[in-house]
Amino acid sequence: MGKIISKKGIFFTFVAITIMTVIALVFAPPLDTALLKDAQPLHTRITSIDNYINDLQEAYFETVLRATTHKAILSLIFYMNTTGFYLKDLDSTFRDVMMNGTIKHPPGSLTHVRIDDITGKKIMENNTLLNWTSKITNVAFDTLNINASINITNISVIQTKPWNIDSSIRINFTVKSDAARWEKAAVITTTISVEGFHDPYYLVNTNGKYTNIIKKSTVAFDKWNISLVREHLRNGTYVHWQASDAPSFLMRFNNSMDNSSCCGIESLVNPNLITPSDQRESYLDYMFWSHVYNDVQNCTKLYNITTPSTGTGLWDEFNYFKMDINHVTMYNITSKDAVRNC
Amino acid sequence: MLLKKRGYFFVLDAVLGLFVLIIGVFLVTSYYIEVPQPVQVGLLSDDLLSFLSNTKIKDLNNPYAGIGGQLWQQGIITDTENSLLQQIGEFYSTNKLDTAEKFVQNVSVEVIPSQFRYEIWINTVLIYPKNPAPEHVNSKESTEVMLTSKKITFGMVNKTTSKVWGPYKAEVYVWER
Repeated sequence: MGKIISKKGIFFTFVAITIMTVIALVFAPPLDTALLKDAQPLHTRITSIDNYINDLQEAYFETVLRATTHKAILSLIFYMNTTGFYLKDLDSTFRDVMMNGTIKHPPGSLTHVRIDDITGKKIMENNTLLNWTSKITNVAFDTLNINASINITNISVIQTKPWNIDSSIRINFTVKSDAARWEKAAVITTTISVEGFHDPYYLVNTNGKYTNIIKKSTVAFDKWNISLVREHLRNGTYVHWQASDAPSFLMRFNNSMDNSSCCGIESLVNPNLITPSDQRESYLDYMFWSHVYNDVQNCTKLYNITTPSTGTGLWDEFNYFKMDINHVTMYNITSKDAVRNC
Repeated sequence: MLLKKRGYFFVLDAVLGLFVLIIGVFLVTSYYIEVPQPVQVGLLSDDLLSFLSNTKIKDLNNPYAGIGGQLWQQGIITDTENSLLQQIGEFYSTNKLDTAEKFVQNVSVEVIPSQFRYEIWINTVLIYPKNPAPEHVNSKESTEVMLTSKKITFGMVNKTTSKVWGPYKAEVYVWER
């Protein structure tokens, strides 16, 4: 009898356990809900910081580099206009101005001076790469509660096309948050146009009295004629010739009048804007102030762009304007409008 | 008799055990299933910020803020590559706060369901709504669930002069009415 009673008790216990197991399985939340509860905020946080790092790399520093390059070039032009100095080393000077807003003054010395103090214009104030790095670091801490350390190296500026300046920086950054730590390095590059800047070569050679703003001529290389040369001279526009003998825009900062085959640009000096107007020179800008044809023996290679007998050419508006034989040919000026200087 | 009483005892024991376990399961599951509403509000604040930062002016079809719209024709909006958030930041940097408020109102009207209220701040300045109504303030103060999303924004006012604005902290707050 006793054995029968025990069996019944076990039966009821089994029934209860089975029912409970079924209820537990039906009503228990899925395992991933519990995990998700903790994972969701972490995922959101890491995504936010990932987005910040991508923004930093792809947008912020590109924007800042573009702006700082523009301002650094502008400041250097004002510096040359104010002091009348060419730059000794464009790369290191550009680096100093971009990073700190300072320049070795006078050129070649070891004294660093704020470039804005020399030019009298607040261009680099609060606009250096250090300023922008500091701003984004502070805002990132305030917004995302992260500690970012950003180190900028390898600042460079070059030209690979006549009408553009390419600048680049290398940035190494470490971002630390309570969730994770990021370490990245990236090279950021940007391109700005040279159009709209004053040509520093004109400013230094005329003590700021004659300024010419870089503006690209729209004339095709095989379409030149005397009328278009007149417009070209009147507007002070610039031309790039294939395999040019002219210096690039950046070479004009350190008075390097060698040829830049990729990026040489040239303009015509307006005789009405210089004193004296009548000089034995080719009035191509890079030849004019480096006195390539100044020697009396070179007068046979120079052409007055006029014909006294007919009154054609350019001297009715640009008296004493001369060109060397190569450029007379390049600009398609015929014997009807030009006569040899001697 | 004795046998019957022992059977009741086991049944009673099983029922009591069952009751205790059901209460336990109920408590555990109710603890886990408490979260759906905050997640939705959280997604809304993220969604609004993503919409503002990923939509460009050129992609917007809006008679006030889009290309050819009122602000475009007045020359107030000039860069079609700006995101909506950048445009708000630009208005803030140039102190056009009234325009910024109206801009936000126009671009976000169909993004947030009407049962929710929201605010947009740039650098701790309330951009939208610029002057909140008392019911807006009361609703914010009395809400049980309010979530925020934050992002850094910056841009260029003038590409010719390379004038940069920012970086600013942009914040979106969303809560149920």
